Amino acid sequence: MVLVDLAASKALGSAAVLLFLTVLMLAAAKRMSTSIVAFALQSAVLAAQVLAVARIHGSTESYVIGALVILIKVLGIPYALFRLVDKLQAPHDVKLSLSPVYSVFITAGLIFLSFTAVHTYVQELRVSEDVLAAAVALILSGAFLMVSHGKALMQIIALLVLENGIFLAALITTFGMPMIIEIGVFFDLVMGVLLMGIFAFRIRDTFEHLDVSKLRRLRG
Amino acid sequence: MVLLLPLLIPVLGAAIVLFFRRATRTALLIGTAEIAALSWLTFATYRHGSVAFGHYLRADHLTAVFLASLCVIFALVLVYSSGYLRHLPPERFSSVRWFYALLFLFLFTMLASYLSSNLGLLWIFMEGTTLASALLVGFYETEGAVEAGWKYLVVCTVGLAFALFGTIALYLAAVKSGVAGGSALDWTSLMAAAPQLSVMKNLVKLAFVFLIVGYGTKVGFVPLHSWLPDAHAEAPSPISAMLSAALLNCAMYALLRYDAIAVRAIGPGFSHHLLLLFGGVSILIAGLLMIVQRDLKRLFAYSSVEHMGIIATGIGLGGPLGLYGALLHTFNHSVAKSVLFFAAGNVRENLGTLRIDRISGMTRMLPFTSGALILGGLAIVGMPPFALFVSEFAILSGAFSQARHLVAVIFLVGLTLAFGALLFHFLHMLGGEPKDTPESRKVAGTELAVIGVCAVVLLIFGVHVPAQFQKLVEGAMAVLQQ
Repeated sequence: MVLVDLAASKALGSAAVLLFLTVLMLAAAKRMSTSIVAFALQSAVLAAQVLAVARIHGSTESYVIGALVILIKVLGIPYALFRLVDKLQAPHDVKLSLSPVYSVFITAGLIFLSFTAVHTYVQELRVSEDVLAAAVALILSGAFLMVSHGKALMQIIALLVLENGIFLAALITTFGMPMIIEIGVFFDLVMGVLLMGIFAFRIRDTFEHLDVSKLRRLRG
Repeated sequence: MVLLLPLLIPVLGAAIVLFFRRATRTALLIGTAEIAALSWLTFATYRHGSVAFGHYLRADHLTAVFLASLCVIFALVLVYSSGYLRHLPPERFSSVRWFYALLFLFLFTMLASYLSSNLGLLWIFMEGTTLASALLVGFYETEGAVEAGWKYLVVCTVGLAFALFGTIALYLAAVKSGVAGGSALDWTSLMAAAPQLSVMKNLVKLAFVFLIVGYGTKVGFVPLHSWLPDAHAEAPSPISAMLSAALLNCAMYALLRYDAIAVRAIGPGFSHHLLLLFGGVSILIAGLLMIVQRDLKRLFAYSSVEHMGIIATGIGLGGPLGLYGALLHTFNHSVAKSVLFFAAGNVRENLGTLRIDRISGMTRMLPFTSGALILGGLAIVGMPPFALFVSEFAILSGAFSQARHLVAVIFLVGLTLAFGALLFHFLHMLGGEPKDTPESRKVAGTELAVIGVCAVVLLIFGVHVPAQFQKLVEGAMAVLQQ
């Protein structure tokens, strides 16, 4: 049991580094499958984080949330995304609008930025600085992935990364929102991914490609 | 019971409609039941001041003002759709059954956001409105509709993600300043505990910035409006009316609730200035963009952006005049904008296009639709004796009475721009010689009826706001200015 407690506190401490790694991995990814795996890993770190909080605070609600994260974000959504890539028979490259080198540089800059952004709030809220910075970095890099990638599927992943960031921010500052709200947010997330999947099919059927950056008919 | 019934009917209705072959008739029946339930709820709230069910559902006078307008708009859209949908091509999602099922779900999510007393729940249902309406926006499965649907889904989901962040920040501020975790998202307890929140001033400010950006995306404030014209233009006309007249109000309602908390916690300076800023920019930019539009429904969409700016200005001014005008304007704008989108639907049905430059001589080809356009146009630019004059005048006098001359000037310039733009486009479309013969000249009886009803409502509210509605609005103002 002592070992488990030790593992829980270690998980809390080292999570930030792992999250930064997944963020950089996403920025550098050239293939769809790499991005999906990176997202799954990121969610796994998040799940460990939730379980660690559950362990330390001894709250059953957090265990349930942790199980949901594993079920939905680590297993369910990545599986669905792999199926989607398969079914859409989409080309496997992610179509980055700038080179991976620049993309990694910018992401590193965003990580730096998030440290400066959270600096003022850390003392007031009494939370670990690097984990809060990791949450903000996830949000920022999610937004960056959104604008730097043209593929519909990549935009779904970007949105999920952004949501992961918000989830993490809520987790470490408030130790989780009330249960019913968390479950509602999960439900919206699943429905959102489902709908975006439907739209990905439609985009392919009407335009014969999946490149949303080429959708330019509506202007002004 | 009175709160549960209007929520249950559309959910069950959506399922029932999918299983029946005569979708239109079934939908009309269910819709009538829903309208009755909604009116009952609005009336009960009007009588008792507030109605609650459990911890999570609650309606007060503020809710009732928005419920009344949602009820009217839904009734109009339902009747209009029954005539409009007959020419739909049968495809997988593009079937009449799916249309009504999604419409009911859309109504449910909006209604649930109004009735949530918990701000987390409000967010969940607000995101639900995006999800329920995205397929309706992409209903036609043309290139434009698919693009608009995707854009709508992605932009609004990202926007609302920021609103979620804001909600969490406010929750955090409440918990840190001593509100019990279970009630820190409940609007009534937050409102009561708001003075306490002033300890966490910075966090409350941060929360409000994220909330106004998040829900503001859904309201369509410039520069967050990119999804709005596309979605309005590509959706079927009844859905455009529903988006403009019901959905935008729904997001504005969320901002109203948060604004009230922010004002009580940290004073009116911060949130009101932000609202005035977004409102002013929206009025001006939308007014300018209206001049260069080439598609009739895009023109009306930008007009919606402008009117959301007007409402935000009213809320931002605050005080009895500003708030009264803003609340009244949500209702008036909804009715007037429905007329315009219904008329645009008729134009498309009969002429096969909505391109303004390809239409001329409409008064001779489609006299009735032209009449509806003129009526809606006069109402939307705020001409007396129509209702929008009253609410816009109230907001304007609010600005002058507070000696906010800059706000008043921006407001008037924006209104003038919009007036000029509409006049310019309408003269081109309505006057002159017809270019080619229309595909058809039919106007369904249902379409006639709904536009007639709107005209009567606009006139009545323009001449004299009914005493009951007046009382409701005053009650709503009391709720916000505790």
